[in-house]
Amino acid sequence: MIGRWWRPELGLAVVVLVLGVLVVVGTLDVSAAASQLGIGPRFFPMLVGGAMVVVGLFYVADVLRGGHGDPEESEDVDAEAPADWRSVGLVSGIFLAFAALLDLLGWIIGASLLFFALSIVLGAEHRLRAAVVAVVLGLVTYLLFVKGLGVSLPGGVLPL
Amino acid sequence: MTSLQLLLDGFAAALTPVNLLYALIGVTLGTLVGVLPGIGPAMTVALLLPITFTVPPASAFIMFAGIYYGGMYGGSTTSILLNTPGESSSMITALEGNKMARRGRAAQALATAAIGSFVAGTIATALLVVAAPAVVSFAIAFGPEDYFALAILAFTAVSSVLSRSIVRGLASLGLGLVIGLIGIDQQTGQARLTMGIPQLLDGIDVVIVAVGLFALGEALYVASRLRHAPPEVVPVGRAWMGRSDWRRSWLPWLRGTALGFPFGALPGGGAEIPTFLSYAAEKRLARGVAREEYGKGAIEGVAGPEAANNASAAGTLVPLLTLGLPTSATAAILLAAFQQYGLQPGPQLFDHNPALVWGMIASLFIGNTMLLVLNLPMAPLWARVLRIPRPYLYAGIVLFAALGVYALNGSVVDLFVLYVLGLLGYAMRRFGLPVAPAVIGMILGPMAEIQLRRALAIGAGDVSVLVRSPIAAVLLALSALALLAPVLRKLLARRGLAPAPSNDE
Repeated sequence: MIGRWWRPELGLAVVVLVLGVLVVVGTLDVSAAASQLGIGPRFFPMLVGGAMVVVGLFYVADVLRGGHGDPEESEDVDAEAPADWRSVGLVSGIFLAFAALLDLLGWIIGASLLFFALSIVLGAEHRLRAAVVAVVLGLVTYLLFVKGLGVSLPGGVLPL
Repeated sequence: MTSLQLLLDGFAAALTPVNLLYALIGVTLGTLVGVLPGIGPAMTVALLLPITFTVPPASAFIMFAGIYYGGMYGGSTTSILLNTPGESSSMITALEGNKMARRGRAAQALATAAIGSFVAGTIATALLVVAAPAVVSFAIAFGPEDYFALAILAFTAVSSVLSRSIVRGLASLGLGLVIGLIGIDQQTGQARLTMGIPQLLDGIDVVIVAVGLFALGEALYVASRLRHAPPEVVPVGRAWMGRSDWRRSWLPWLRGTALGFPFGALPGGGAEIPTFLSYAAEKRLARGVAREEYGKGAIEGVAGPEAANNASAAGTLVPLLTLGLPTSATAAILLAAFQQYGLQPGPQLFDHNPALVWGMIASLFIGNTMLLVLNLPMAPLWARVLRIPRPYLYAGIVLFAALGVYALNGSVVDLFVLYVLGLLGYAMRRFGLPVAPAVIGMILGPMAEIQLRRALAIGAGDVSVLVRSPIAAVLLALSALALLAPVLRKLLARRGLAPAPSNDE
């Protein structure tokens, strides 16, 4: 069990380490227009980046030595189950497609499709019911937020 | 006596019909999101932050206070009726609470949780009224080096206490600090870490970070390992309890409050430690029937931890309001809400905006009372909410996350940033990195930087200025202790001396 855990976590540990390096490197670009007194805009990012590098090194070392974090427990999560990458990929794809098409489709159609597709991927059994809930939610949120609260959401292809 | 006068003024402000309505909306919404899995008070307040552009501050904070307390009530309903550990603060409640529910005593478990939360919330809010002015009068003399040291203490304490592994806590903190750095430096106008993307010049909005880490991260995580069996909710009627339940509950309530409030007020204290301590204390003190029932559903094991949980929520407000120091994710989002109004919590806030602060504190008393009325008769309704099919629930959470983030700037770029942060939130859950240090780091980081630069400017670049004040020196020493405590504990444990978890600040 443990042997299976720590390999993917190494990726996250390396991200922390690399991010620390990137912060330090990225901060070198900032021209230090410091006043005579005190410190300029580079000092604190350097501190954070340096600390991240140190923490990242400890993290990588910890994972390599077999340490692993406990996956968060939550009401609807089966912590013992193997990761279902297909669902994660589909949820990601649906969300990114929604983001890319939102301005074109408008909120009502975009949000309805988002809800419908997500609920099917997550295992909704009645497609018709999911579709009805999706359209109702898309319409209600639009009316509530645009007409009621004055938030601006894209109208898109619907003539509104 | 003046703070009593100010509190009465606060009640006058909070008791207008409009503000009562905001309080009612807040507690209802708070209970709802507390009951619902996958969504909590921190994310709810974050999604509602945009209302700060149109709603006056007093009303907004009255509503946020309602959400904050309501979330605590809702969490206990979930853990009693649905035996799966949800929010870590109500995990302990599930131990005895769910066993009570399974033995047909769900109504009594819910009642002792609700009434205990009310008793603890009211006493702890009263303690807040007493403690806040005292802390303010002490903190009025704080210099920038003291505030910097306080922020460091909050960082280290939160990272080391909230996580079972300090490296993971610090990694989470670092991720938050880096996100907080992105954007234009407030003092010199230099762009930092924007990678040349103009949309990042203003920094990444706290709403996107909170919604990404909490909502989208949770949705992706749930998608990866969804429990396919339908949730098993214990059916329940109206919450009530009999005379013997009252007799067995009132002392645990008071003991839980006494444990919860001080831990909530400490940086990194949180709700987990006092609820656990209260559970252990009640177990040790149990006599007679209680002793036989412990482990099979003893009411004391629900009453004590629930009271400790709510008291610690009120305790969290002491450092937040008096020092501007958030010690939980929700408190960090509340701090962001203050910043949206251009307000900085701290001693000055009590001076300049007494009506706002005391109105908010008064609304905590009002919200607590509303929650009691809302929760006792409406338990069956909340139990029904728990049965919402999970596909709809999480699809809905993603929809509202997208709505809240898009509405910020009307920009699709924000939705892609949201997705990246959602992936980060997913990875953090998957590998057991606590999310709270990241949120606190993101919001408190820029303030820590300002105080550090101010302190060093006053000291003309001399670093020793940071420890010249005794307060700062003590706080920094405590931070070092918070970092070293887990290491020391491990060393002691290796020798077989200290197996029990303890709080080491």
